[in-house]
Amino acid sequence: MTRVVEVPASFDDKSFDQFAQSFASGDPGQRALFDARGAQWASPYGLIGMLTAAQVLQEQRRERPLFTVPSSDDVRRYWARAGFFRYAAELFEIHGKVPRTKVDDDADYLLPVTPVRASEDVHAVVGAIQERAARMLAGELGLEAKATIGFAMALSEACQNIVEHAGTGGWVAVHAYTFRKRLGRRVVVIAVSDGGVGFSRSLESTQARRFGDRWGDAAALEAAVIQGVSRFRDPGRGQGLAGIKRYLTRWNGKLSIRSGTARIAIVPPWDDDVPMSEDLPFFPGSQLQVVIPAQTEIDG
Amino acid sequence: MILTIMVERVLRETVQVPYRDLVTRSTGAAVRNGIERAIAEGGCATTLLDFSDVGLLDFSCADEVVAKLLLRTQTEDERYVVLSGLREEHSEAIDHVLNHHQIAVLAKVEAEATPRALGRLAPELQDALAAAQQLGTGDAASLADAVGWTVERAADALQSLALLRLLCADQGHFRRIPLS
Repeated sequence: MTRVVEVPASFDDKSFDQFAQSFASGDPGQRALFDARGAQWASPYGLIGMLTAAQVLQEQRRERPLFTVPSSDDVRRYWARAGFFRYAAELFEIHGKVPRTKVDDDADYLLPVTPVRASEDVHAVVGAIQERAARMLAGELGLEAKATIGFAMALSEACQNIVEHAGTGGWVAVHAYTFRKRLGRRVVVIAVSDGGVGFSRSLESTQARRFGDRWGDAAALEAAVIQGVSRFRDPGRGQGLAGIKRYLTRWNGKLSIRSGTARIAIVPPWDDDVPMSEDLPFFPGSQLQVVIPAQTEIDG
Repeated sequence: MILTIMVERVLRETVQVPYRDLVTRSTGAAVRNGIERAIAEGGCATTLLDFSDVGLLDFSCADEVVAKLLLRTQTEDERYVVLSGLREEHSEAIDHVLNHHQIAVLAKVEAEATPRALGRLAPELQDALAAAQQLGTGDAASLADAVGWTVERAADALQSLALLRLLCADQGHFRRIPLS
């Protein structure tokens, strides 16, 4: 018997809960079939979300999940060029034709899907992205050169959260695309995901007592993102997320972090997201997304 | 005697990565250990940490390399650390983490003629430091004269700057931290 995990037709942070609901449903002992046949598009958040789910199943020693590829040639090619199938092939039993397309160095993929397991991976990610980020942020998004440095710093800190806190490996991808529905502008999106312990378990030993009955995924996210606390007693900790927030404030960007059953967002004026969502379908680990929009005269 | 440490060289020697970027806490801790060893072996009162050729410096690494080094050296008598070769973005990351710890350091940032303090320093102390830097040497009376304060107020400021290791002070007299 298999249980079907539906991949949303348009798979981004908004439709992630639908995916998480499907992933959490059914008998976990049954083999999972990730059905992406109807997929029309996936953001980097969606792509690495699927890999995270498969990685969780692998770490739980479940039977290797099945994956049916998108019916659309264009979508398959896009996902192949974004580096998705390179790692999906290790985690899924893939059904359907996977294009032999190379992972693309074209402008839309600032960073293809990349695993993050150790400090060296963060060095590699930061080293690889700086020149391309400079070209894209200045050329397409109209950000000044200074923004590139902050962008690489934000990326570094986001990836380090996996190494420092997840207790397992994770994934990062950075794409640029046009945010038609919500903004009508080009954006650069950093997505980072892991299937590790999540914020609640990471902070439980140092923070749970302080929050009492309120303790849970939402309280843990609030403690980490708003109050800047860390599981480490070292007073210098917690500055990574603070640094990301500082960068996003300057460039009118958005930060959202989902962990377990909650999601917190630092919402810029151009978006109508809610600051905190609770009682979401459970998904393991944590998923972070940073969105930096093209600058307009209004942004300065 | 002044010990100059090229931070990028310490990075290459301690961490086997082909990058010039100071990122991640583990890298920062390894680099700080290398710097601390060099300081201990050098036996000099003043250490100039030269950031020339360093690529990106993230907040975590700035905390590990600079903030933790300062927190340790501030407990030792007559030890001074000054930063040089900083680009503007390096100075922003360092300023951010030092503010968090409520400490400060003297730093030479590219294209700026004189060193300035990064981190948390009250505006009054910033004024006193700027004046003292300009005077080079003196005492509470000469500083008071330069900034138009009472001698007591200038003496208090000098004591605070000396405790923060932003000036050398001895028996009522001060002098700039020697950088050459």
